[in-house]
Amino acid sequence: MKPLIHVLEDDESVRKSLVRLLCAAGFETRAYISAGDFLLNPLPTQHGCILLDLNMPGPSGLDLQSALQRADYQLPIIFLTAHADISAVIRAMKAGAVDFLLKPVESEVLLEAIERALTRDLVQRNERLEENALLARFATLSPREKEVFKRIVAGKLNKQIADDLGIAERTVKAQRADVLTKLQATCVADLGRFAEQLARFEKPKAEQTYTKVKLATLNGGDAAAP
Amino acid sequence: MPLAAFAETGHHVLVLFSNARLLPANIATEQSFRETLLSAAPNTEISTEFLDFPRFSGPDHVANLKAYVKRKYAERPPDVLVAAGGDALRFLHENQGEMFPAAPLVHIGVLTSQLDPRWDNRAVGVPIKIDAENTIEDALRLHPKVEQVLVITGSSPIDRSFEQQLRKDLERFVEKTKLQFLAGLPTKAVLQRLSELDERALVFTPGYFRDGEGRDSFPKETIDLMARAANAPIYVPFDTFLGTGVVGGRMASFHDVGNHGAKIVARVFARANAQELDLPPFMPTQLHVDWRQLARWDIDPSALPADTIEHFRQPGYWEEHYREVLIAFTIVAFQAALISLLLLERHRRHRTEAALQKNRFELAHASRLAIAGELTGSITHEISQPLGAILSNAAAGELMLQSGAHDTNALRDILQDIQRDDIRASQVMRRLRALLQKHEVDHAVIDLNEVLSEVADILRAEALRRNVALTVSLAQAPADIKGDRVQIQQVLINLVLNALDSVMEVAPVRRQIHVGLVLSDRTITVKVQDRGVGIPPENVTRVFDSFFTTKAEGIGLGLSIVRTIIEAHGGKIGVQNLQPHGAVFHIDLPRLEHKAPKERTAG
Repeated sequence: MKPLIHVLEDDESVRKSLVRLLCAAGFETRAYISAGDFLLNPLPTQHGCILLDLNMPGPSGLDLQSALQRADYQLPIIFLTAHADISAVIRAMKAGAVDFLLKPVESEVLLEAIERALTRDLVQRNERLEENALLARFATLSPREKEVFKRIVAGKLNKQIADDLGIAERTVKAQRADVLTKLQATCVADLGRFAEQLARFEKPKAEQTYTKVKLATLNGGDAAAP
Repeated sequence: MPLAAFAETGHHVLVLFSNARLLPANIATEQSFRETLLSAAPNTEISTEFLDFPRFSGPDHVANLKAYVKRKYAERPPDVLVAAGGDALRFLHENQGEMFPAAPLVHIGVLTSQLDPRWDNRAVGVPIKIDAENTIEDALRLHPKVEQVLVITGSSPIDRSFEQQLRKDLERFVEKTKLQFLAGLPTKAVLQRLSELDERALVFTPGYFRDGEGRDSFPKETIDLMARAANAPIYVPFDTFLGTGVVGGRMASFHDVGNHGAKIVARVFARANAQELDLPPFMPTQLHVDWRQLARWDIDPSALPADTIEHFRQPGYWEEHYREVLIAFTIVAFQAALISLLLLERHRRHRTEAALQKNRFELAHASRLAIAGELTGSITHEISQPLGAILSNAAAGELMLQSGAHDTNALRDILQDIQRDDIRASQVMRRLRALLQKHEVDHAVIDLNEVLSEVADILRAEALRRNVALTVSLAQAPADIKGDRVQIQQVLINLVLNALDSVMEVAPVRRQIHVGLVLSDRTITVKVQDRGVGIPPENVTRVFDSFFTTKAEGIGLGLSIVRTIIEAHGGKIGVQNLQPHGAVFHIDLPRLEHKAPKERTAG
């Protein structure tokens, strides 16, 4: 299935030219004349990204970005604008934009940014799949097994865990094996990684944002990162 | 000054006048005598006494005078005695021995008839002659129609002496004309007679001191009365009578008499004796006339002798009015200078105004540059949009060609769009250039609908950028005015930018601006309305003032330039606060009658 690029642009000729370019580059596109127009439809689930004009009648591109973020919707966004001040760029990048492009934009730059956004989307999708799978596996643990898991990743020995929980050391050993099996881990080191992931899922949103900005910067936001 | 000083420095001259101090002849004589003598012998002391004959006379008067003069000048006796007039000369002849016997005696202004042949030769002087003979001779020549000559004299002794002399002198005229003497008549009778005369008569009179009724007067007063009453020209022997209405006569002027007498006195100081003085037998006479009387009595001026002395000559316009003429000329010259000055001033003011106008251009231009600065974002936006579209379109076309999918229609569409966007970008450029270029003020017919539309294109982007709703409503019919497109655009942009600033300070829901055109018969009203913070009431009247601003970075020229531009277009601008919030600027501009588009483009 082709990636789907959502083009939000109020200026007709710009919108038309972008759609044309993206089609010629082999993408599926969908065009909207405003943020409202985009939000009227159910949020797309298909792999792709959003090409978002900063200045539009009604809610601006930044408004849409924060609205989507609040809805925990993670389709990567590339900002496109004819004129922007530095504060708008910072705000957009902090909120996780893939890139911030100035019109007129060369097709190579645009297509490269779109590739990056699509990669980001795939990564995020995989992360989310893994996350979901892990959570599903974690959900199969009994309450006692979760307590044991917590103590294993905290680095406690079987004997200590048995003392903590007031159960036999043998019982702890059996449950440790169950936990490894249920979480599909091959060794204790895997459990440590899972624990890290789980902890991250449960962190508040603000910290998640921070992580994402770091990610965006690492992902090569060299063109626009301040 | 002590009297002794005079003894060393100068002579003392005592002048005894026969009659009263105020007798015109005495005044004239004394004045010229004094002037001439003092200029010849500056240190001379001149004393004057007036013997007041014939009003006072008789042995007692003479005795009193003698005692008075003798005692008065006892300490400072005169070096020279001067007798002014026949009576004074007689007084001195008879009494000098008892007063100042050593002093030489000079006489002035004594009539030839008054010289007594019995007197010795000690008095020197030139007598004056009543030249009635020649006067009447001249008068008859000037008045050819005259048949009768009247001679009028009085009743005092001196009057009688005049009469006798005249009778003798004029004897020859008795036959030639009807010469008649009116001697010693009451003044009333004289005047009555004079009033009955006509052009066939003329009058000769020396005046008189006393009339037939014994009434004393100065001769000049009698002359005055006679001149007013007479219906015939009057001739007289003395120049002091001139100006009363008499024509004139042959005479020696009393000015000359005094003058001449003073010269004799000066020579007597130098011890000259009578023989050495070589004096003429009497003062030469000349015809004196009152110029004003010539016309009255129909006298031909060319008939006057060459040596005639004209008194009261009616001066020519220049002579009479030279002051006025000079003043008038001065005024005219002054006015001319003033006018030149004003013209110069006007020229300078024109230049200043031109400079001011230029400044206004510069200011308006600077203001537009400032607007452009404020609009940078929007302008960039307006140009970048089509450029971006062009770039994307071109890239799309290239990709299509690379892929080998030769969809000619799609490529044609792309090329068309590229052209359209290019035109769009260049239009923005052109409008900007027009707005930012310096230009002379234009007075073309412009449709405010078009002007507003163009402005709206620029401003919409700015409004969008600031997230403000900008609505524009155009007029249904052409809204033509005569004026400058760029300046009107400047005004609209300025007002909308102000409105944008105003709404940025309020909640997003109130960020609305409306620009509308309303037509009426004679006017086009442009309204720029916002729902922003409005204008503090105390500032409503000041917003159009130069340098009034509430903005931190504002210099306060925007609205003052706006008003200048609107007023230069014959319009008005005002502002009102709206309820519950916001403000509206309204501009009224004179509306032109709409002409057919053909004519407009032709013009």
